[in-house]
Amino acid sequence: MQDKKIERDDIFRIYDETVDVEENVEKNVKELFTVVGTSPENIEHLDSTPYSYWRMTFKELFKRPLVIVCLILLFIIVFFTIFGPMIKFYPPIQVNGGVVEPSTPLISPTEYPGYYLGPTSDYWFGICGSNMGTWFAGQDMWSCVWIGARLSLLLGVVVALIDTVLGIAIGAAWGYFRWLDPILIEFRNFVNNVPTILLDILLMQLLYNYMDKYGFLIIVTLLCALGWLGLAGFVRNQIIIIRNREYNIASQTLGTSSGKMISHNLLPYLISVIVTVTSTAIPAAISSEVGLAYFGLSFKISTGDITLGQVLTNAVSGLAWMDYPYLMLGPLVVMIPLTVAFFYLGLALSDATDPKSHR
Amino acid sequence: MVDYIVGYTIIGVLLVFVIFSILVKKRVLFGNTPGMQKVFAHPLLHYSLRRLGSSLISLALAITVTFFLIRAAQPADQTCAIKFSGPHITEEMFNLKCNLWKEEMGFNGTIFQQLINFFYNILPFPKTRCLTTFDTDTMLYTVEDCRNFVIDFGKIYFLPGVPDGTYVIDYMWPRMVTSFKIGILAVVLEIAMGYPLGVFMAKHKDGVVDRIGLAYIISIDAIPGIAYYYIWMALLCGLFALPRVYSADDFTSWLPIILTMGFTGMAGIAMWVRRFMVDEFNSDYVKFARSKGLSENKILFTHVLRNAIVPLVRSIPSAVIGALLGTYFLENIYSVEGIGKALLIANSTKNASLLQAIVIISALLSIISYLLGDIVTAIADPRVSFTKGD
Repeated sequence: MQDKKIERDDIFRIYDETVDVEENVEKNVKELFTVVGTSPENIEHLDSTPYSYWRMTFKELFKRPLVIVCLILLFIIVFFTIFGPMIKFYPPIQVNGGVVEPSTPLISPTEYPGYYLGPTSDYWFGICGSNMGTWFAGQDMWSCVWIGARLSLLLGVVVALIDTVLGIAIGAAWGYFRWLDPILIEFRNFVNNVPTILLDILLMQLLYNYMDKYGFLIIVTLLCALGWLGLAGFVRNQIIIIRNREYNIASQTLGTSSGKMISHNLLPYLISVIVTVTSTAIPAAISSEVGLAYFGLSFKISTGDITLGQVLTNAVSGLAWMDYPYLMLGPLVVMIPLTVAFFYLGLALSDATDPKSHR
Repeated sequence: MVDYIVGYTIIGVLLVFVIFSILVKKRVLFGNTPGMQKVFAHPLLHYSLRRLGSSLISLALAITVTFFLIRAAQPADQTCAIKFSGPHITEEMFNLKCNLWKEEMGFNGTIFQQLINFFYNILPFPKTRCLTTFDTDTMLYTVEDCRNFVIDFGKIYFLPGVPDGTYVIDYMWPRMVTSFKIGILAVVLEIAMGYPLGVFMAKHKDGVVDRIGLAYIISIDAIPGIAYYYIWMALLCGLFALPRVYSADDFTSWLPIILTMGFTGMAGIAMWVRRFMVDEFNSDYVKFARSKGLSENKILFTHVLRNAIVPLVRSIPSAVIGALLGTYFLENIYSVEGIGKALLIANSTKNASLLQAIVIISALLSIISYLLGDIVTAIADPRVSFTKGD
């Protein structure tokens, strides 16, 4: 202990004797900088390139090669949902005098019992096997898959938009107005405590009792009824964190209205979060619909509304798909790239929209 | 009679304990006895009591809302019309049967009377319930199978393979055990795989395993559950020839379900652990340890892992308790007789009491698991304390 103390004192003494700080600093300044004098014209001029938030965001985004791959995948899928049925199409539904009914199967299951046709030059994804319910049996898989993808995609986009708008609006109010907190927390507890699938089933039956028709509106209502809660809770937490920062207290003291506080002070801060959740909301909505379809809670097929979930559910009902894997490959080949591409884009966007990564 | 005495004694003891500990906490009793203060005024105990008290509101809300939802979604008259009307049934007979069913299921009276009756049945104090049956040949009512209940969940009708009037608890219990057996094995598997994977991914960040793991996690989050489960089924049952249908005696038939659940849950745990560890690696105490010259392995095992265990410990109670409720998709895919399947059967056969019982049990379990998670965190992490003002 004693030895160490002496050692340290020695070091200080040596340092004080040998190094003249002031002189060293002056020397360094002279070596490193050259004085160019003053120039009044250039005072306002910036040498660095001007910063634009969205330009930097896109620059960051397109740095990743996988983002380009995802965008190309999405473009291909969207292209085929629009033009796929035009290229080759056996209408899965025929309309006779205003009455919608299933078309005659292309290959009659009674004629060829248990006949499963693989991909051929005529039926590009093969034929839905005879195990696939009464409706899908013998239909052209290519047509079914692309019509299904079209509706799934539309559903996903609509639900994601509604969820985002509701989630941001409610979440911002939830975080900003303290009196809303107990009510919405109790609602969140309720949703956490009750099995989600049961709530979905009961809401579905309730809507069915009163609206008497499965339709786009009912499915959208069902998916949106609980979908906004996750985003709202997230926005609420973020807003509570930044609510009492100095700049917000200053604004409040100056008499800024609540609406303006939320829209000008708080939400711009959360843009990165909001963009991320919105883009992952599309695959989430598509996945939810697939889950609902598995339990028979999706569209009524007889009205001509087919989704990817229904095609998949019908393909995997029974165990024939294990011997004839193309039954499942058709819907999966579309469904997996669609959801994964959207999801990865969302994650990439979340990094790119974060201003901290813009340096 | 014995059931009544035991039941009321337990309720009485619990009530006395709660009141006594509150009084000790307020220093009305034993205010100056450190030993009693330490045991009965423990902050964890009072935090749990407060949480349980406020959870009662959530529980009552969940029960009430689902009660009204079920009755609005599945009106009793509609169910009667589906189940009892037939070509050879007279209107008189239909009414007899329908009224008896309504009586037994608690559908008689106005909806508020039904609600009060329902709450009376599920409040935990002893009560006796009997089953009334109606014989169509002799036109006689018989009362049979009287039993004492603490909590009465009601009876089941119209279930295939189950006699009408079976008590819900008899039906639920074996199914909960089945779900739990599979679920607990899956939880063990997902923790045993997910935790080391997360640690490894964080340690070798941006390495090959990290990239593959991240791709796996993203794909699990993105691909719809059904598609994903069936891909696993194709792999496990097609490639490795495991049984496609669950049977209780054959352990190999449990494997596909356990493996699927394990590999799904693993992704979530690995992502959590990885994110947490990466954050910890950038924290000041790790930088300090590094600048002192500690080896990376030593930093990982003696400093970071101890901190990273806290979020894991928090998630264990809810994972274990959640195993009691089973999974909806997998139990249906592999036809496991568990709670997840019971819920869907209960819905399709319009068994309001069974649905309600599942709601009550799942709400209770989720409340308990959140509370246990907090308590376990407080025990594992000395920084957390539940005293007021901290």
